[in-house]
Amino acid sequence: MGLHQNMTAEPVGRLELRQPPLCGPTDSVRTAIEQMRAKRLGCVIVVDTEQKPLGLFAESKLTQLLAEDPARLDDPVCDHLTNPWPCVRESDPIAMVLGAMQAANVRFIGVLDKDGRVVGLTGQKGLMEYVSEHFPQQVMVQRVGSPPPAEREGA
Amino acid sequence: MSSQLPKSSSDEFQDPLENYDPKQYDDPLEEALATLPVSAIQSTPYAGIDPNTPISEAIQRLAGLQVACLLVEEQQKLLGVFSDRDALDKVALEYDEMKDRPVRDVMTSRPVFVYDSDSSAAVLTVMAVHGFRHVPVVSSSDGKIVGIVSPHRVTGFLQSYFETKQ
Repeated sequence: MGLHQNMTAEPVGRLELRQPPLCGPTDSVRTAIEQMRAKRLGCVIVVDTEQKPLGLFAESKLTQLLAEDPARLDDPVCDHLTNPWPCVRESDPIAMVLGAMQAANVRFIGVLDKDGRVVGLTGQKGLMEYVSEHFPQQVMVQRVGSPPPAEREGA
Repeated sequence: MSSQLPKSSSDEFQDPLENYDPKQYDDPLEEALATLPVSAIQSTPYAGIDPNTPISEAIQRLAGLQVACLLVEEQQKLLGVFSDRDALDKVALEYDEMKDRPVRDVMTSRPVFVYDSDSSAAVLTVMAVHGFRHVPVVSSSDGKIVGIVSPHRVTGFLQSYFETKQ
């Protein structure tokens, strides 16, 4: 099957999911930043006591806060969530991740189990890794002189 | 005396690829990514910034333009990128000490880029292999910045094949 068919047929669980940092709603934005730095990810998922997602705090929101008033880094993170924030189920087709990213203009998509609990995070990098599997020659000919791959998601 | 050797049929150039059949694709998306150049994906407009701009101003630009990445440029040549990831990793918790320093101090130097003549798939593999979400596009003819491919632009390109070409 080709890429288009595979993205329609294969489930989200086939993607390389990342384990996102999790925060409680009363944690501060500073705490969220520390978690994001520690996990080398550009977002943190804010969850309730049952690990169900309340929303996403992403680096784009952080830039807005720094521009408005850096003192707001002491605010509770739940005051600055991206909401609504699209999530998919592990069993949904991969094409649904693409549609959610495009429709909501977000880079991170939550992956939930059948009970609505967070089981992982996907998004641009996971999707690009999946697509790149179909272009092994391109992966092999990454330009000589490029910096070594960074162990992070995003720039 | 002539310096030219007499031509014989064995001297004639034989193109080893003359009978090469290009790969046939069943899948329209795969064909597009393999055969269309980077220019098939939207890469303009882009937001540029001078390397001596204070970090506080660069943050204001990111927020004001609602973009996630600025290309740090000098005479349209790419020096680096300053993204919201750089703000997270190098500025956010140290803002007071960092805000007046030039953006060149915290930019990602020597960013991985693609040439405008590369295939569309090259952009996606740079994102996958190097982990960069924003990939600058540089002219293969004069080395000047052409634009930048963002996550939204890539997903827009991919999504178009799910909306119209099923």
